[in-house]
Amino acid sequence: MTKARRPRAGEVREPLSRIDRLLEHRVRLAIAVLLSRWDRLSFSRLRELTGETDGSLGAHMRRMEETGYVSVDKEFRDRKPVTWYALAPAGRRALDAHLRALEDLIGPG
Amino acid sequence: MSADAREDLGYVRDVVRRAERRAMPRAILWVWAAISVAGFAIIDVAPERAGLYWLVAGVAGFLLSAWIGARRARAIGQESEETGRRHMLHWAGMGVAIFLLSFGAEGWGSTPEASSHAILLMVALSYWLAGVHMVPALKWMGVVAAAVYVAVALLEGFPYPWTAAGIVIAMGLVVASLAGGTAGDES
Repeated sequence: MTKARRPRAGEVREPLSRIDRLLEHRVRLAIAVLLSRWDRLSFSRLRELTGETDGSLGAHMRRMEETGYVSVDKEFRDRKPVTWYALAPAGRRALDAHLRALEDLIGPG
Repeated sequence: MSADAREDLGYVRDVVRRAERRAMPRAILWVWAAISVAGFAIIDVAPERAGLYWLVAGVAGFLLSAWIGARRARAIGQESEETGRRHMLHWAGMGVAIFLLSFGAEGWGSTPEASSHAILLMVALSYWLAGVHMVPALKWMGVVAAAVYVAVALLEGFPYPWTAAGIVIAMGLVVASLAGGTAGDES
């Protein structure tokens, strides 16, 4: 049996530098992945899926919105406000790059 | 990979799986249960009107189902054009295939009875494929429809075979709706 080769420092540092700091947090990563697979999700659906509180999810969404990773659309349904989120092109690019960096980090070994 | 990273990726996977838990609004299955009961019974009582019934009821049921599906996606707060398109293409494909089969049946010298059998098998296959690729609960509807296909072929001389077939299929749809459907605002 061959022993797995320990990666050299440079091999780890390079993909690490490509890790997106915003998507490093698991809740924001999950939100980005969800929004990459569905056109748009409401705030309450995201809260239900992530298990976050209103305040915590609101803070995550604000950060993603400020960075331009998600776009927001507000509407009223049965006189209640509904906030919809969609992944913006910058968010999609960031997610793709982040996932590629993660793959490189995990590597074939 | 560190334990933290593994835990984080596990969390992301669980969240996506929860979102992927696919179900169909109960109302869609009930619509088709009602359409099926009447549509199969008509083959026994007024076979000459069956084609027209299925053409009208089929198109109306398809449009109604699309509307219910879009409404439910909006109600639960999870919309995907791609998923909607996949469902529409699947069921529209089945509808077109049934239409072409009925349309060409006379030309090939096929009897309405034989065409109905072929259509039932096509419906069974469509439910099975919908279950495999889209809504797991519908797999069992494929099995029920295939069993009905075999039973109708074997039960020669039974007074109202297609009426009985329609009732069994409708019951299967109701059971599928209770087992794997959603009421509308839940996921």
